[in-house]
Amino acid sequence: MTDFFSFLGLPRKLNIDAADLEQRYRALSRQLHPDYFQNASAAERRLSLERSSYLNDAYRTLKNPISRIEYLLKLEHMMERDGRNGSQKVPPALLEEVFVLNEELDEIRDARASGAPADRLRARAEGARKPIEAKRDAHERDLKDLAARWDATGDREVLGALRERILERNYINNLLAGIERELTA
Amino acid sequence: MSKVVGIDLGTTNSLVAYVKDRVPIVIRDADGDALVPSVVSLTDDGAVIVGREAERRLLTQPGRTAYSVKRFMGKGRADVQDEARHFPFRIGGEGDAVVKIGLGDREFTPPEISAFVLRELKQRAENWFAAQGEVDFEVDRAVVTVPAYFNDAQRTATRDAGRIAGLDVMRIVNEPTAASLAYGLDNRHTGLIAVYDLGGGTFDISILRVEDGVFQVLATNGDTHLGGDDIDVLLMDSVVGADLRVGPPEALQEVRRAVIRAKWDLSERDETEIKVAQDFSPAIQRHITRAEFESLIQPIVDRTLGPCRQALADAGLQPSQIDEVVLVGGSTRIPLVRKAVAELFGRTPHSELNPDEVVALGASVQADILVTGNRDLLLLDVTPLSLGIETMGGIVSKIIVRNSTIPASGAEMFTTAVDNQTAVDIHVLQGERELVADNRSLARFKLRGIPPMPAGLPRVQVQFQIDANGILSVTARELRTDVEQTVEVKPSYGLTDEEVERILLDSFEHAEEDIAARLLVEARNDAEAVIAATEKSLRVPDFAEIEREALQSGERQKIEGVLSALKMVITSSDRDTILKWTQALNNTTQHLAEVMMNRSVRAALAGKNVGDL
Repeated sequence: MTDFFSFLGLPRKLNIDAADLEQRYRALSRQLHPDYFQNASAAERRLSLERSSYLNDAYRTLKNPISRIEYLLKLEHMMERDGRNGSQKVPPALLEEVFVLNEELDEIRDARASGAPADRLRARAEGARKPIEAKRDAHERDLKDLAARWDATGDREVLGALRERILERNYINNLLAGIERELTA
Repeated sequence: MSKVVGIDLGTTNSLVAYVKDRVPIVIRDADGDALVPSVVSLTDDGAVIVGREAERRLLTQPGRTAYSVKRFMGKGRADVQDEARHFPFRIGGEGDAVVKIGLGDREFTPPEISAFVLRELKQRAENWFAAQGEVDFEVDRAVVTVPAYFNDAQRTATRDAGRIAGLDVMRIVNEPTAASLAYGLDNRHTGLIAVYDLGGGTFDISILRVEDGVFQVLATNGDTHLGGDDIDVLLMDSVVGADLRVGPPEALQEVRRAVIRAKWDLSERDETEIKVAQDFSPAIQRHITRAEFESLIQPIVDRTLGPCRQALADAGLQPSQIDEVVLVGGSTRIPLVRKAVAELFGRTPHSELNPDEVVALGASVQADILVTGNRDLLLLDVTPLSLGIETMGGIVSKIIVRNSTIPASGAEMFTTAVDNQTAVDIHVLQGERELVADNRSLARFKLRGIPPMPAGLPRVQVQFQIDANGILSVTARELRTDVEQTVEVKPSYGLTDEEVERILLDSFEHAEEDIAARLLVEARNDAEAVIAATEKSLRVPDFAEIEREALQSGERQKIEGVLSALKMVITSSDRDTILKWTQALNNTTQHLAEVMMNRSVRAALAGKNVGDL
């Protein structure tokens, strides 16, 4: 019937003013929350439960810039399910970084197995993290630029680029989580 | 109109409160005592005693007197194995089955024991209303608080306790959230609040943002097995050590009372004596300093800090960003606890309101909101634990993540593995871990009535709905045939609806005719609600316009027809007829209700936009 953007009375755009979103959320909560339907009919109570659940989901999804992009991509049929599927294969743009990182992590594991001091391993793992973090920061900037371009043009090619960046981003986050595990091992 | 109260059903003490002339007040007994000890005792001739009198019987009749029963709510016998030795009453039940508490020759489930406490509070409130000269002093509905970190089974057990006590639990509210509501009344707070709630048996931390009268919980965490009771047990072990198990139950209670006194003393003084005379030879007398006490309980205080940090991280906040810290629960009187909280958040916590009373006061405010429909204040709470289902390989797939604002819903698609399969087993869990075995099992159910089709073809959408009480319900629909599936949820730890009904029937206070009368009243109330809602919609000033734009031709006439039919049968004593016509009016007005709700949503957004333009 509707989507999260239109439910909150917002255009399908990626730059959302946080204070405005909060205000809309509160105004709608004051209309829909089950607290105000205690003495209502069963039909009204059920609607209140459904709509306030939907509102909470909408607010949560649109509040976060990344889940906002993922939702838009789903809405525009650019991403099936939630993007987690895409994180298995190495995105072409990351091949080089991933290759270097995996070599380094292998060496760290070997070094640990042969009893290298923990602080030196830690320093190496943190060193390995640097280029990946730099990549992530670059991605954040790309996403911001692309979001602004979508809002200005509504060009579907921008959505394709956003999709690539999001899949890469998920992959990068998995890499960083892997390094984190290595650091705490 | 009957009265609706707020109840704090505590581990150690319980209270009832009410909003009178817009001011929440705690209802006291004739002696001015606000607290009802959550203690229930069974006399030799089978009478049930609750509160102060029962508390005195802890010393004389320890085997017939139950306390701290909140710790057993929604638990299986195996869950409470470790602590059973600390209780002088019988703790029975088997394996995963619900805990049974033995008093004398009778056995009770934890909701039944809690129901005795709730009945006492209901009675206290009714006496008070009668003394105030109220004509209708009956209390049949209540808002009841639970620890924020209570899971689905513990919440359901609390609601069952209400039903057994003859109280319709209109809403289950989280204790720290209720406390924030009581605090937020005096001054128009805006900002970020942390509520640190260390009670008799449970610990909660909740982080809220308060703005524009909306109390929005950002994150909550806690431990439902951490509180003043654990401090008492530590002290008891340090005083009598292994003798605890061999001593008579009377002696155990004597020691418990002595260490609780010492604990209270040490919040005011630097040293005290633990004295136990009776039943011990030689009698115990031990000197204890605050420093000794603090080093003893340091591990307990430390255990509260991890959940605090996790809640802050989940809310995306640093401790220094919190504007105010509020203390709730009797155990926050302990100086070491205050010091730890002050250090973590870098500010002195608030404790202007009595930490024992603040939760009940907040519950009564919420009760008032529900009754009056006052939209000035709104609580938006969260579900404390993630909800998931078991998938292949014993892995949990999350459907609703923790700290989601409630009501919350999530859906999952299921299909069949073999041809013509008509049922699928589903296992619902609550918790944060990846493996099924590490999470709390909520319920198992079988999806039945799937139309026979080749394997993999059915598309059964299962909808999980957490309501504003934090309680789960499940519905399912096969999308290819649009057939609704029956979902019979069997709770893993708790009473089925049938068991609650049976307890109600068995209880001597509820003769069968009473129950029939109550069911009839409930049916009439439901009928009145839908009549009132329908008439309200038909009477809105611009109804003609709504009808022209959004209703089908003849829709209004049809609604009016069913409406007058229901008004005719509502006074009859035939419950089934009333239910049938109530259902009919609900169905007939379904579309109108949707139209009206869409209209209010549009109006709310338009009201907002006006300011923007």
